[in-house]
Amino acid sequence: MNGRLDRLRGPVPSRPHDARAIAALAANPGCARRALLDAAGVDKDRTARHLGFPAPFGQSQFAITRGNSFETVVKENGCAELLRLLRELLKLPVAEVGYQDVESVGAHLRHSHTRALVDRAAREDGPAVFYDHPLLSLRIAGHVCYLEPDVVAFQVEGRFHIVEIKSFSVIDGQAEPRKVAAAARQAAVYVLALRALLADLGHAEERVSHEVVLVCPENFANQPTAALVDVRRQLAVLRRQLTRLTRVDTLLDGLPEGLTFDLAPGQDGVPTRPAGEVAEALSRVPARYAPDCLSTCDMCMFCRDEARESGATDLLGRQVRDELGGVSSVAEALGLAEGTLEPAEGQEEIARLLRLAERLREECLR
Amino acid sequence: MSESLDALELRIAELRAQVRRAVKARDNTLARSLRGDLRRAEQAWDRAVGAGEPESPQEREAPLLPVREQVHQALALLGVPSAVRMIVAVNDAFFSGALRGPQLTSLRRDEERSFRGDPYARPYYLCAALTDRLSPARGLLADSTWEPERRVLGPLSPRVDFLVSAMRVADRLVRMTDPPQGARRLLRRMAQNIPGAVEGLAPADPETTIRAARAELEVHHAADVAQRAEVAARAGRQLSDAERLFGAVALSTLRGAS
Repeated sequence: MNGRLDRLRGPVPSRPHDARAIAALAANPGCARRALLDAAGVDKDRTARHLGFPAPFGQSQFAITRGNSFETVVKENGCAELLRLLRELLKLPVAEVGYQDVESVGAHLRHSHTRALVDRAAREDGPAVFYDHPLLSLRIAGHVCYLEPDVVAFQVEGRFHIVEIKSFSVIDGQAEPRKVAAAARQAAVYVLALRALLADLGHAEERVSHEVVLVCPENFANQPTAALVDVRRQLAVLRRQLTRLTRVDTLLDGLPEGLTFDLAPGQDGVPTRPAGEVAEALSRVPARYAPDCLSTCDMCMFCRDEARESGATDLLGRQVRDELGGVSSVAEALGLAEGTLEPAEGQEEIARLLRLAERLREECLR
Repeated sequence: MSESLDALELRIAELRAQVRRAVKARDNTLARSLRGDLRRAEQAWDRAVGAGEPESPQEREAPLLPVREQVHQALALLGVPSAVRMIVAVNDAFFSGALRGPQLTSLRRDEERSFRGDPYARPYYLCAALTDRLSPARGLLADSTWEPERRVLGPLSPRVDFLVSAMRVADRLVRMTDPPQGARRLLRRMAQNIPGAVEGLAPADPETTIRAARAELEVHHAADVAQRAEVAARAGRQLSDAERLFGAVALSTLRGAS
């Protein structure tokens, strides 16, 4: 199977996944195109660029600087701010203030040092200790990828928690739901990786709490505040998606033998394969576009264009698409609503609703 | 003050008239001494006008101390291995305020080079704090004249050092008759992370902060002292002079889990 995936990718090294990429996998579990591209380790950003549909996102330098400076504030003086928050939030006893900077051993040993420290903490059941700059690993589709959480894992009463520090603000107890959801998905990846590590060391993986601590600036100041976020749902989605990646052969079965997404980069690394040919190859694998993709997937613009051309109901968002079950395109839905199209078998109910909606609209416009 | 200004202006006008008369009479000696008086009167007028304005912060006198002396000054106040941000904050609150973070980036490396080139030539070196792996702790600066136990870190040490530095900042504030605004803000920022040190949004009281910090310190003190003594003894046994100050390159992680 790996040979098949290598052929899909072409003669370039597989692209490693980071936590954001893995989290994005969980954002749209139904998309076969994304699952396949990720399993093969295709550089989606380059592909999208070559096709003429560069993704509209990427973190700005300002956002990165802001995020880093906020993280420093939270972690400085032996996590003094974080300690205050956790004492309030989790009733952390005063005696539990340990702090270990995993990075102190040097970059090449960070992963094994993280492993050793977590093992010792799990065995001795000692006092709470923060682990700053840990390095975790996760196996994705047969490749080990290293996750560098900008987070601190810590232990209280024998349970490990993941702390995720984000620089979007919580105003009056409310944060933007999309950003919280993205943070939760990312934290879920770390929970999963830490659980994998504990399981690998022979400890119970339930010792990693499914509640992550999300630390954000409060209101308009730089003062941090913390909240517990339950990531069980994200974990479940992520698990399912990762097993799908390993069972990617079922996706491969329906594809023609010679299919490849190879960009055939020349000596200077510039793709030489005609964009049309790559687009043709990609269209063999069904995508499941949703407007959410615009914030998570490099291929979003390409898929949106495709969905527009075919007039798919996907464009209208997941909720509308699910309500229009059985109606495949926007044109068909409009036809049903205006009565120019006879509902096929099984479409009677949705056709009645659409016609009702159309009548209401007419009345409003009159 | 306006009265003296008025008097000065009168005097200046008078002196000008006298200078004019002296020049007209070609009495050069008198003219020169009158011009001297005029200049002095004008300077006095300048000073009197300027006295009413608050001194702008930019006019704080530029520090004559080199960067490493300023860092040393801040470290002496804090008394524990401290991060660059903290050193800059203390310098800002109590001293010249001219220290900037980027000036400190290569400081430790320069000190290490100087020490390796000519050991113990300086009265003190700005060195690293050692972790329990005996490697240099990231971003912390310490003073080489401190006893080894103070320059190493156990798992509890970051918290203990934070409490100690908060106490020392508070102690300094207690002893000042008119502490600067920046110093109070620094204390407030530190105190809000110590349980029982501040109530709500009120300004931090130095005495309360010291009491609260001492209360928490008592919980960690014994364990921390034992851990630090162990690391310091290990450093003393295993490391060379330069490594004892600037840390060793980590070659192994914890044993027992692979």
